Amino acid sequence: MILEVDAVSKRFGALTALNRVGFAVDEGQIFSVIGPNGAGKSTLFNVVSGLFAPDAGRVRFRGVDITGLPPERVNRLGLAKTFQITNIFPEISVLDNVRVAAQSRTPESGRLASLWRRPDVDGVACALLETFGLGARRDAHARDLSHGEQRYLEICVALATDPRLLLLDEPTAGMTPGETRDATALVRKVVLERGLTLLLIEHDMSVVMGISDRVAVLHFGEKIAEGTPEAIRSDPRVIEAYLGGGDD
Amino acid sequence: MSVLGWRALLVFALLAALPLVPGMSRYYLLLAFDALLFGAIAMSLDLLMGYTGLVSFGHAAFYGLGAYATAILMERGVQSVWACVGFAVVVVGLYALVVSYFATARRGIYFALLTLIFAEVVYTFFRYTQTFGGSDGIQGLPDATVLPGLVIDTPTRKYYLVLAYLLIAYAICRVVVASHFGRVLVAIRENEDRARFLGYNVPRYKMGACMISALLTGVGGAIYPMRSAFATPDLMLWTESGEFIISVMIGGLGTLVGPIIGGAFFTILRDKVSSIVDWYFIVIGGVLIVIVLFMPRGLLGLRRIFSRRAAA
Repeated sequence: MILEVDAVSKRFGALTALNRVGFAVDEGQIFSVIGPNGAGKSTLFNVVSGLFAPDAGRVRFRGVDITGLPPERVNRLGLAKTFQITNIFPEISVLDNVRVAAQSRTPESGRLASLWRRPDVDGVACALLETFGLGARRDAHARDLSHGEQRYLEICVALATDPRLLLLDEPTAGMTPGETRDATALVRKVVLERGLTLLLIEHDMSVVMGISDRVAVLHFGEKIAEGTPEAIRSDPRVIEAYLGGGDD
Repeated sequence: MSVLGWRALLVFALLAALPLVPGMSRYYLLLAFDALLFGAIAMSLDLLMGYTGLVSFGHAAFYGLGAYATAILMERGVQSVWACVGFAVVVVGLYALVVSYFATARRGIYFALLTLIFAEVVYTFFRYTQTFGGSDGIQGLPDATVLPGLVIDTPTRKYYLVLAYLLIAYAICRVVVASHFGRVLVAIRENEDRARFLGYNVPRYKMGACMISALLTGVGGAIYPMRSAFATPDLMLWTESGEFIISVMIGGLGTLVGPIIGGAFFTILRDKVSSIVDWYFIVIGGVLIVIVLFMPRGLLGLRRIFSRRAAA
């Protein structure tokens, strides 16, 4: 078990964004969290990745209690995340975006020597960009990339920190159905090749069903179902809450 | 020397030849001293403003504390450049540690305000403490010595002192911005939240940038009394911090070289205009408004315009 979320609750004023949500992700699994907009999916990711401390419950990652640890500490333990709204470094080059992420795992990082040494991470960074078809765009400013390219860069930046667990928050948001299919296949391939564990947020059911080992469904901050994609697809509560909700 | 590049070395060689220009007067050498000193400090501030995205309104305090460190030692008979600079590094370093710790815990406008408030406290302390001369500061200081027998007593020697400081400060800044650390600073400027999710302890990097910038500025301050023979509280006034910021802006943010040019330009403009009219700040203000409005990349941005024209 690589990640264990145990009865996590998070409130924002009167709104209960998460109510005693719990699940466990096994090493090497592709685990998806689905639910309509506003179900608490992004809040869940923010709690797991350290942006918010939960009001109750614990989060354990690779056996370490990471509840309430800040994002930089959680990341250093091997957990990287992407954002639902593209969150990159706009005014520097695509390659520099990935370089600054990759160098955080070099021996210089956090040492005094980082003041004068510049670690060579170009090999790793370029290989990642090639994988996601951004090799030819590496000298462009990140802000000049197309939406789809920026979504890929977002994933490259997260992968460059060499995580064990990757959290993708709606990686295909804003993509056309064709792009979504390609992106999903590519992500799956990279995750398998690298032996990563993937925790995925989606509200597009079709994305999730094809690639997930296990799916959990959130609705109004509560987990209403968890199981294999087939079981989820036929679960009446899910159909009622999610598919029949008319949210999309 | 590969750090500097041949163009920078050429410029430094030309600057080193300045005292050899026929008819070079004492007045112009000292003006050149002021211009390069101001430029070096604007460059140090650029590490924060241009690279890290933090605007400090309190750099005058680092500058003034460095000047007082030299003045206090010289008043007690210590004339060694090394001792004065060393003392300034310690004093400014301790002060900067406190300021940067608290200021970097806050973002945006709060960083600017905290640096300003700390600097005003330091200014007020020196302005009203008679031990350090109150509003008169410490006057009538002797010449500094580099080595026994090598006294910084002529305008030419003073000029070479500031040139050496500029060269070292520039090399340090170049190395830092090209380093692992420098890349993280730019990432923080671009998107500090994302930098945290890459495992970087953002406040600690900001603190590091503040410390380097403050120490370079403090050493500049330590050199100033070796030219002027005084240190006064006015060196710490917030208007001084404002002039550093303006110099960075008119030179070009995030370029290091731009702020050196900006600082030198500002110093020379002020000197020239103030020798003609009393209301010189109105003239300077007008020039600055034109630069900010029509040259958003600063004076260094002109380079781009000219090279584009040459290509066309």
